[in-house]
Amino acid sequence: MTTVDRAGSWPASSAVAGTTGEATAVAEGSRPSGTRGRPPSKLLGIRTEVPAAWRIGFGVVGVLGLLALWFWSSSGGSALIATPTESWTAFREMVGDGTFQTDLWASAQRVLIGYSISMAIGIVLGIATGTFASIDAFFEPMIGFLRYIPAPALIPLFLLLLGIDESPKIWLIVVGTAFYNVLMTADVARNVPREMINASYTLGAGRLRILRKVILPHSLPGIIDVARINLAAAWSMLVVAELLAAQSGLGYQLIRSQRFRAIDAMFAILIAFGVIGLLSDVLLRQVRNRIAPWARS
Amino acid sequence: MTATEPTPTLSSVLRPGTPKLVVDDVSKVFAGRKTSVTALDHVDLHVDQGELVCLLGASGCGKSTLLSIIAGLETATSGVVTVDGDRVVGPGADRGMVFQAYSLFPWKTVAENIAFGLETAKWPKARREERVAELLGIMALANFADALPKELSGGMRQRVAIARALAPEPDMLLLDEPFGALDAETKRHMQDFLLTLWNRTGTTILMVTHDIEEAIYLSQRIYVLAARPGRVAAEIDIPFGGSRGPTTKRDPRFLDLREELAELLAT
Repeated sequence: MTTVDRAGSWPASSAVAGTTGEATAVAEGSRPSGTRGRPPSKLLGIRTEVPAAWRIGFGVVGVLGLLALWFWSSSGGSALIATPTESWTAFREMVGDGTFQTDLWASAQRVLIGYSISMAIGIVLGIATGTFASIDAFFEPMIGFLRYIPAPALIPLFLLLLGIDESPKIWLIVVGTAFYNVLMTADVARNVPREMINASYTLGAGRLRILRKVILPHSLPGIIDVARINLAAAWSMLVVAELLAAQSGLGYQLIRSQRFRAIDAMFAILIAFGVIGLLSDVLLRQVRNRIAPWARS
Repeated sequence: MTATEPTPTLSSVLRPGTPKLVVDDVSKVFAGRKTSVTALDHVDLHVDQGELVCLLGASGCGKSTLLSIIAGLETATSGVVTVDGDRVVGPGADRGMVFQAYSLFPWKTVAENIAFGLETAKWPKARREERVAELLGIMALANFADALPKELSGGMRQRVAIARALAPEPDMLLLDEPFGALDAETKRHMQDFLLTLWNRTGTTILMVTHDIEEAIYLSQRIYVLAARPGRVAAEIDIPFGGSRGPTTKRDPRFLDLREELAELLAT
């Protein structure tokens, strides 16, 4: 009886003239008979793990694909795309005569100083706005307005106000990243569970102690993640500044290679940026796991 | 009862003239933009020194709000809470509180968690370590002193939370559905554990729960709270004294009480 019912409830078109329930089931959904439910997808399950071998495999294929695309597009004899070999040679030359190290250090210094200031602002204001509603009320509308002014739009003003040496570049990095650091750190601070704060109160702790001994340590791994994510924006701001007005730095070398049509050096620097970013990302993840092993998933 | 004669507990020995905790005509109104909700409506209750009392009520009856007001974490719209005659105006270590979950510091070890209130109270290091060791022993956590909370089971985490609240020697413990997130087996275990602890330390305990059997099994007295608006619907004395055991739950009086309370909660 149930077999007939099942077939009968299905649209007539797909109810292939099966005499048994099994035959009907196969015709219905090409699923094996005697099973229920959708079998999980092995590689495209929604938020499911993929076997390690596949995960690594996908990554390798992606990177190799990008390399292949580069090889292929540069092999056409275009003068505007350097081949990987040319880029590698150019890179070794730059390292050989020391210009790469000089420029890297010049750029890294600006990022380090600018981003440190930005993170300091981010931590202090972020924790304060994420913890105290009154401080949040004071800063929120202000930041909401200021963060929509594109940081590079401030370059002409900075050049007039601060001259053309280091400070406008550093401040561009600060302005270009501080707002995001503040807003994201505030969210991190807001994620401290209410129960944890209340428990601290009932253990006799005052606000200052809760701030120092509960909110800050709980937020630490989150703050490192914020630093890690927004570091990319700091490098972007740096390059923008160096493209416009600089006598040193990786961005300055980029504009120089454009002027001298040194496409191979240009490619070498672009790849260097990617590698620097990747390394700092890995480093900050290590720091996070070292400092806050309790937050490791 | 078939159980052996109960050893007298502190609560039965001490029959003080004035209660430890008094909640006097407390109301709490949450004012919304259009309507305001009365969470607590003129609540009166008291807890004696060394007593274990449960606030029993369905969800939404304001029992957790009431506990928060007693802890000083929330303020009453009207009415007064006093402990030993002192008015409660804010939270303090004299009223140790245990939450349902998420209150342990995940970056601190078990021992460090327990020591938090002692550091706050500036206990000298030697005394602090002594107290932590004592509590680790009482709570059967001695082997886990250096473990992080995430390495512990749910029941052990709640034992740490209780130990942490107990460490600075509070006047009373406030428990907000402390076993609500535990599985049935662990919960039973923790209930017996709490009774042992209470018999051993004589601490005054006020506990919020929605579990009828838990309330009967643990309490000396139960306040039944009714919802919308939250108010005391009944005050019930539990006749089992200080001795509870596996047989308690089969005691005819237990079953009668369970039925009576279920009816009270249903109304």
